[in-house]
Amino acid sequence: MTRNGPLALLYHALFVVFMLAPIVIVCIVAFTPEGYLSLPTHGLSLRWFRTIAQYPEFIRAFWVSIWLGALSSAIALSLSVPAALAIARYRFKGRDALATLFMSPLMIPPVVLGIAFLRFFSLVGLGGTFVGLVLSHVVIVFPFALRLTLASAVGMDRAIEQAAVSLGASDWTVFRRVTLPLILPGLVSGWALAFIQSFDEVTMTVFVAAPGTETLPVRMFLYIQDNIDPLVTSVSASVIALTAIALVALDRLYGLERLLAGRGINEP
Amino acid sequence: MSFLVLRELKKTYGDFVAVEALSLDVQRGEFISLLGPSGCGKTTTLQMVAGFVEPTGGAILLDGHDLVAMKPSRRGLGVVFQSYALFPHMTAAENVAFGLEMQKVGRAERDERVRNALELVGLGGFAERYPRRMSGGQQQRVALARALVIRPHVLLLDEPLSNLDAKLREEMQIELRQIQRTVGTTTILVTHDQSEAMALSDRIVVMNGGRVEQIAAPQEAYERPATPFVAGFLGKTNELSGTARVEGGETRVVIADGRWASRRPIDGAVIASVRPEKIAFADCAAGRLTGLVKTRIFQGNHWLYRIETLAGQVFVIRQNGGEPMPAENDKVGLTWRPEDMALRAADGRR
Repeated sequence: MTRNGPLALLYHALFVVFMLAPIVIVCIVAFTPEGYLSLPTHGLSLRWFRTIAQYPEFIRAFWVSIWLGALSSAIALSLSVPAALAIARYRFKGRDALATLFMSPLMIPPVVLGIAFLRFFSLVGLGGTFVGLVLSHVVIVFPFALRLTLASAVGMDRAIEQAAVSLGASDWTVFRRVTLPLILPGLVSGWALAFIQSFDEVTMTVFVAAPGTETLPVRMFLYIQDNIDPLVTSVSASVIALTAIALVALDRLYGLERLLAGRGINEP
Repeated sequence: MSFLVLRELKKTYGDFVAVEALSLDVQRGEFISLLGPSGCGKTTTLQMVAGFVEPTGGAILLDGHDLVAMKPSRRGLGVVFQSYALFPHMTAAENVAFGLEMQKVGRAERDERVRNALELVGLGGFAERYPRRMSGGQQQRVALARALVIRPHVLLLDEPLSNLDAKLREEMQIELRQIQRTVGTTTILVTHDQSEAMALSDRIVVMNGGRVEQIAAPQEAYERPATPFVAGFLGKTNELSGTARVEGGETRVVIADGRWASRRPIDGAVIASVRPEKIAFADCAAGRLTGLVKTRIFQGNHWLYRIETLAGQVFVIRQNGGEPMPAENDKVGLTWRPEDMALRAADGRR
């Protein structure tokens, strides 16, 4: 590996600062003892973390986000497996159109999707329900789930399944004993990525969520429209801390690189 | 009736003919090789037998039963793939046990048979290893054990040795042949390597462009190639133009200044095909094909000569027996036995 010159090092350093500074500043501001957004100058305080407890809607919104992310990612994933296997293996009429359709939620602006869902759900009587929220999130996280599932399905040697067939395995057995375990790393990565997308989504969710089904980002967004106290920073800092703990745990259990690259277990 | 019968087997993809009316009778316990260059239809043929490709026409009969109508999972054939296709998430023993599990073989018997199969391929101590921790040759053996343990009616091998290096490939050839003899399973091997096909098989099916060129024992295909393609594909050969005339009970063949008498009744312009190692040196007597030694290359156990004759360039291989050999720029006469010469009409008739 060649070493970076001083200019390149400076560039990389600036880039890292640019990426991390907002997060760091939010975390520092969260410890302010003041009643407004400011860098703590007269000591640190846990005041705003204690304040979270007085806002049960934040806690509830957090759990809505968790359940929403977990459910919509799981549903999107279970839909993406047959879709990915079909697209990866077969050449059929309308294959490209189907692949584009599956990816289209990435291309439609979330605002447009949000308005469309708002109208559609109120028409079919799902307006403001958790079910509606889950359905809308299934749509937006599906491309992410499909991408990673597809990557692992494409990379799989068909001969491995043919070997199982020649040994007498039925179609279902081949899927359960061979195909599924081999694409599992892709599925885990796909689920994780979809979960993050769902947890993060604000623009569309603002339209779909109703009081009682607000997600955490939506709750925070609505809060800072009316208030400018540092409560959102302490909530953000808590989420960042939870994410960090989750990532460390995942890395220990599974290996972060493997998770994010969706690599197969047959690779070293 | 033969054990495995392929009758007028055919596969087309649109206008492209992958396999054209292939007929083959395989005896029980026989080792057959499908040999040919890539794209000759040999792998397609194997996949039709295995059931991964559906034939466009024709029939496959195993012990009298129609195989085409049978699901691939019900055919009871062992398949070894070029890529080994081991289950990467299972140990060697679990890989081998998979087929027995599918057959619902009981635990005790299964363990016993898995152990025996791994021992048969020389991997007794590797049961708990995962494929990624094994070398290519070891993975190949696991794949073989996995295919054999289910006691398949027929063993299908798709270029099983082509991913191994030359030395290992030779060892595995010998071992494969030995295992096949021990177990006695009817075997079909697909390969593009003519020496591999000759080393292993009872009979070779030489294929080209979707058609069968010749079905014969290795030695016969080599000594008496049915077509110019077979002659060229199975080792080196010299192709010399000449004329033939039937005179009395025999055929007089004239190639430049050389003359032979043959029993093959053929008339007119001919092409004679002679293997380089069948040609001997002699003095330049009348009626003998003569030429000038252009190059002479020493290759240890044999000499390779290139001789310029009136009939064109002729390659000669002579064993290094220690006796003096012609040098470059020597004038030599070339002889071979008439039966070592395959004759065919120059215009393509047989």
